[in-house]
Amino acid sequence: MSSAMLYVLVAAGLFGIGVYGLIIAGHLLRKLFAINIMGNAIFVLMVAASAPLDGRPDAVPQALVLTGIVIAVSATAFALALMVQLYRVTGQASLEQDPDGDD
Amino acid sequence: MNLAVDMLIGAGLLVLAWQTISGRSLFRGIVLFVVFGLTMALAWARMGAPDLALAEAAIGAGVTGALMLVAFRRLVRIRPDQCAQPALRRSRLAVPVAVLAGGLVGVIGLAVVAVERDPALAGLAVTEALTDSGLGNPITGVLLLYRNLDTLLEVAVLLAAFLAARTVFGEDESRPPTPARREVPLVGALLAIIVPLTILIATHLLLAGSREPGGAFQAGAVLAASGVLLVLAGRLQPATALSAGPAFGLTLGLMLFSLVGLAVMAFGDPLLALPGLWAVYLIETAMMLSIAMTLVLLFAGASGLRRSGP
Repeated sequence: MSSAMLYVLVAAGLFGIGVYGLIIAGHLLRKLFAINIMGNAIFVLMVAASAPLDGRPDAVPQALVLTGIVIAVSATAFALALMVQLYRVTGQASLEQDPDGDD
Repeated sequence: MNLAVDMLIGAGLLVLAWQTISGRSLFRGIVLFVVFGLTMALAWARMGAPDLALAEAAIGAGVTGALMLVAFRRLVRIRPDQCAQPALRRSRLAVPVAVLAGGLVGVIGLAVVAVERDPALAGLAVTEALTDSGLGNPITGVLLLYRNLDTLLEVAVLLAAFLAARTVFGEDESRPPTPARREVPLVGALLAIIVPLTILIATHLLLAGSREPGGAFQAGAVLAASGVLLVLAGRLQPATALSAGPAFGLTLGLMLFSLVGLAVMAFGDPLLALPGLWAVYLIETAMMLSIAMTLVLLFAGASGLRRSGP
């Protein structure tokens, strides 16, 4: 098994964990963890699956992922502000209507 | 041997991710998420992407963790008594959906790895063209010479996220994280050592970014760390009004990048075709300052900053 293949499998595992976490999370902060983990899984996939050039890694996917990391932080910061404001207004930091509700 | 290290890092990532989402305590989740980010940085280094390792450690783990911690503290402050977090929900579909989604990613990745690996045309072109541009670091080259519209819009997205967060957040929570003038011994001395060192490291990352791993985003995040430290120590206090200094810092990167990008059109060059290495350094410096200012203001949860203390 090559190192690229290993990291592709890790990416798959991380994405699965992220999706699972997104579904089962009650608290919005947990959903944010899950979304960030899913994003990281895709970043790993992009870099691990790109072909190396003369033994050196390809710069283009890495540059794209670098952009992606900054965008992910921006989106997370905005989401955190939304979460705090939601908590301030409604008193709960989850999207469920009632304890037994299934959204 | 090498594969064993990769396996350890991969297993660590999976365990940390699992613990982050399934742990009982939210605070513990945040700490584990930061550790996850740092392990990701190790993984990037192993994958031959030191630029990404630096960015992940500084931005992905550091800044995201700080933002999550400060948001968590705001939640606790709004209602200190009611910190009972909604428990994990039960869903019968969760496991099958997660397995399918992970499987999809795995199949796509394995298929890409398994096909005959042609060296990417774009990657080859970049490596060839960059040798005469003077930029030794291909990532910085791609970001500022070939995908510069992406980079410009990325700075715009960061600014937009800040403005959106301010709009949502309102001004009623302008209580400072640390009261001014609560002087703790040694804090001043510590700041006097750490802040100049951080500025030095940020400048080094910026300058090294043209040849070695580094660049505006990593440098901006490191610089933001010193700002966060000053906010935490109470030396910088959140202000309700945006004064000229922070406003200038926030928009400097976007303005300068756009101005240079438009100005080259007057000389008959295409939009955003940077005229030389000096322009790359100029724009990277402006971007570093803007990124640092935006991240510090996001952390402080304020529209502006003012000096306080001695």
